[in-house]
Amino acid sequence: MKNRLKVLRAERDWTQAELARQLDVSRQTVNAIETGKYDPSLPLAFRIAQVFQQPIEAIFDPGGSNGSSPH
Amino acid sequence: MKDAIEQEAPLSSFGCSTPRDRQNQRRTNLWTFAWISVWLLMTFGFKEGILPSGPLAFLLVAATVPLGIAVVLAHRKFLREADELRRKIELEALALSVGVTLVGSFTYWLMEAAGIVEAAELDKIILLTAGSYVLGTILGFRRYR
Repeated sequence: MKNRLKVLRAERDWTQAELARQLDVSRQTVNAIETGKYDPSLPLAFRIAQVFQQPIEAIFDPGGSNGSSPH
Repeated sequence: MKDAIEQEAPLSSFGCSTPRDRQNQRRTNLWTFAWISVWLLMTFGFKEGILPSGPLAFLLVAATVPLGIAVVLAHRKFLREADELRRKIELEALALSVGVTLVGSFTYWLMEAAGIVEAAELDKIILLTAGSYVLGTILGFRRYR
């Protein structure tokens, strides 16, 4: 699943660690989502949308792929 | 904007945890250490004849069970509260471990029936379970790095 996490994070000048802290996940989780290796759960996707104050569909594109997804 | 993307330090192999995960992991490790310590002491005691045999021995062995249950509960708490990627890695490692243990055990028993190896021993099966779990965890951390 393709996503705009990296772009949105960079627009706010946040590091992966800062975003991870806000989402209450590990930095590796943020990194794996950004690189498309891992698709977040629905609750985490909602938290991401809340943090960036954007609708989920503006962040995640179920049609695309950032890389090899484990799902 | 560029800094936030490019100045990320490389991820360590075991960086997939939050402070809560590390706390739960420490708790699980402490219970595991306590359980294994008591198990080793009792094994030594029974082998050397320091501890009594008979019904009293049964009571002593039964006394270790609550410690074992504490290990299981601590691990369950760790998994339930774990960072979701960490939980995925752990569950995939556990699935690998169960699969390898089942296939390995049945193959081993078949080899025993065929006379290729001597009697199957429990310690080898436990080693296979633990080894495949550790391997699965390491592979998971590398896959999602």
